[in-house]
Amino acid sequence: MNILAIDTSADDTSCAIISGRKVLAHVEYSQIALHAKWGGILPSLAKRAHEERIDWVIQKTLRNAHLSLAQIHGIGVTYGPGLAIALEVGIRKAVELSSTLTIPLIPVNHMEGHLYSSFVQNAKGNPTRPFQFPYLGLLVSGGHTELILFKDHLTYEILGQTVDDAAGEALDKAARMLGFGYPGGPVIETLSQTVKHEDRYIFPRPMMKSQDLQFSFSGLKTALLYKIQKMSEEEKIEALPYLASSFQEAVMKSLIKKTERAILKTGISRLVVGGGVSVNERLRTLLRALVKSHGGIVQFPPYKYLNFDNSAMIGIVASFRAEEGLMLSPGSHIDRVPRLSLLQSTQ
Amino acid sequence: MRIRLSQDGTNLKDVVSKTQEVLSSGGLVVFPSDTVYGLLVDAKQEEAVSKLIAFKNRPIGKAISVFVSSIEELASHAFITSNQKPLLESLLPGPFTVILNSRHTVSNLLESETGTLGFRIPDYEPVRLVSKSYRNPITATSANLGGRHPHYSIESLLNQLPKEKQAMIDLIVDAGKLPRNKPSTVLDMTQDSLQIVRKGDIITSSKNEYRSPSPKETRKLGAFLLRQSEKKAKGKPIVFLMTGELGTGKTEMSRGIAEVLGIPQVVSPTFVVSYEYEIPHSASNRLNNTYKQFVHADLYNIMESDEMEHIGLDQYLDKPVIMVIEWGERMGDFIHSLQEKTHVVLVTFSHVNENERIIRVHHSL
Repeated sequence: MNILAIDTSADDTSCAIISGRKVLAHVEYSQIALHAKWGGILPSLAKRAHEERIDWVIQKTLRNAHLSLAQIHGIGVTYGPGLAIALEVGIRKAVELSSTLTIPLIPVNHMEGHLYSSFVQNAKGNPTRPFQFPYLGLLVSGGHTELILFKDHLTYEILGQTVDDAAGEALDKAARMLGFGYPGGPVIETLSQTVKHEDRYIFPRPMMKSQDLQFSFSGLKTALLYKIQKMSEEEKIEALPYLASSFQEAVMKSLIKKTERAILKTGISRLVVGGGVSVNERLRTLLRALVKSHGGIVQFPPYKYLNFDNSAMIGIVASFRAEEGLMLSPGSHIDRVPRLSLLQSTQ
Repeated sequence: MRIRLSQDGTNLKDVVSKTQEVLSSGGLVVFPSDTVYGLLVDAKQEEAVSKLIAFKNRPIGKAISVFVSSIEELASHAFITSNQKPLLESLLPGPFTVILNSRHTVSNLLESETGTLGFRIPDYEPVRLVSKSYRNPITATSANLGGRHPHYSIESLLNQLPKEKQAMIDLIVDAGKLPRNKPSTVLDMTQDSLQIVRKGDIITSSKNEYRSPSPKETRKLGAFLLRQSEKKAKGKPIVFLMTGELGTGKTEMSRGIAEVLGIPQVVSPTFVVSYEYEIPHSASNRLNNTYKQFVHADLYNIMESDEMEHIGLDQYLDKPVIMVIEWGERMGDFIHSLQEKTHVVLVTFSHVNENERIIRVHHSL
């Protein structure tokens, strides 16, 4: 079954054709260059860019896969969570395609996609990575920070999540406070590497005392702000890499600590990681060390693009949903759900 | 006697009339409130007040506040100047006790030595109903012995009381465990400047200015401001425009507002600009019947005001919506649409130090 999947949840217009777990083609038009100038996703640009690019992206995907629309058997589309007006563009297109081709429509939760992203295979079926449920899922991005119990296919439980800012958002905001642009994560990471991740300022690790699996990153902003305010311009320039590094350490160590707590609580030390922040090498190093000490494994998305928003992961989920018969009839109405929770998509 | 006030308020009417009956015959009632459990007696019946004072082991001459149902009723028991009136109207009903010069219409055992009296108008339906249809003011002191901590459950209160004290109580209205709100903030308005006598959850330093020592208080202030705004909005959509630096508590206050509406998981919308939530229906929360959607927007990433046209916030303005817009100063001309169609509340946050914030509030710009 060939599934054409569309994701327009944020700033990438993305289309993929999937067969089972294999990606036959994946094309995305990233708006990051457009948005970098503005310091974040710009709704009008996002919407307009999605509208202008979506047909081209779909056509190019079909060409790359050497397939015609007649050879597509289902349409998968992200219906949340994400930016409402951006989601609408993808949903409209998906409904239209499903209706003209009279093929089923498969709505997919974007976060399910991230959870499955480490199981995506290339056209040749690599990497093989068999499913060995249950897994602990750690999803970290600009909009999300969640610990998930991934019990079986399409079956999830939320163990913990951020109560305020997402980890990626905290990194972006810290970068902006330090005078850098969007996206902030890579800048912070690069600066941290130059001082070997020295934790000079030891910013507070919020919610470390609480025994639950919730995260909180908004207090960190204030700590950084106060640290910077007390410095002269020269001191600040001198301290820049240390500030970045200490901030990144505070974020990453919070993630590690809660993940470890989740391992102890559930007894599961098989981790899957997804979302934009999972590309961060510091996080990867710390997670590898963590699972090693618990005799587990950690799986990251096998190709770089799979860390970020993409439609390949949406297509994989759509495949599994289709197998379970979780499809809508051609041209069905789908509402975008900007605050869609994984719980709403569990079987 | 002990009666249970059901969660959904179905037996509220019976509880209210029973309470009034006991008060009328000079009885002592333990009753829930928006803060802690309180002790109610008829404030005009000298004997009942004496019983209350004896119960609490309270030294004579130490004032005890009273519940009234409205500012009009308050004015018949205390002197209110034209300067004080706007402040009273903005704070009440709410978790405040205001000290004013008494007109000596209630038992003088309740007044301070200087003839002042404390008043409460709580934002809590059961007390409001008891007080509204009762001919006299009712005492509003916490249900604990002098010098001991207040109680959030009947069990906790009874554990503290010796048998002879328990026997003095004529009626207990049990509403289960109350949320852990601090006792009210006590404001002395009889001096030249506003004096804070006791700090509760919501601390105000002058009209439209509040101080928050921590994120928790900022959330509670959000809840208070929503109720305050509801009165002024008269059914129009309510829009909170929040401005202030990163990390001053805008998202915390948004969470406090959402919690009142029964929406538990509100996170920062920075990344996607705006999130919308359905407000769950609730029989006991008036707000939930008036308003159907909660929209939480964040303009942090908006650099040019004409972007506002594309976010789609205008689509909500004709609907029963409660909206929070963080970084509201970035909206440009959109403010005119808001002013025309909604009740706008401008909330400005600033740092005092690492923890404390000053929060200024202006209604209907």
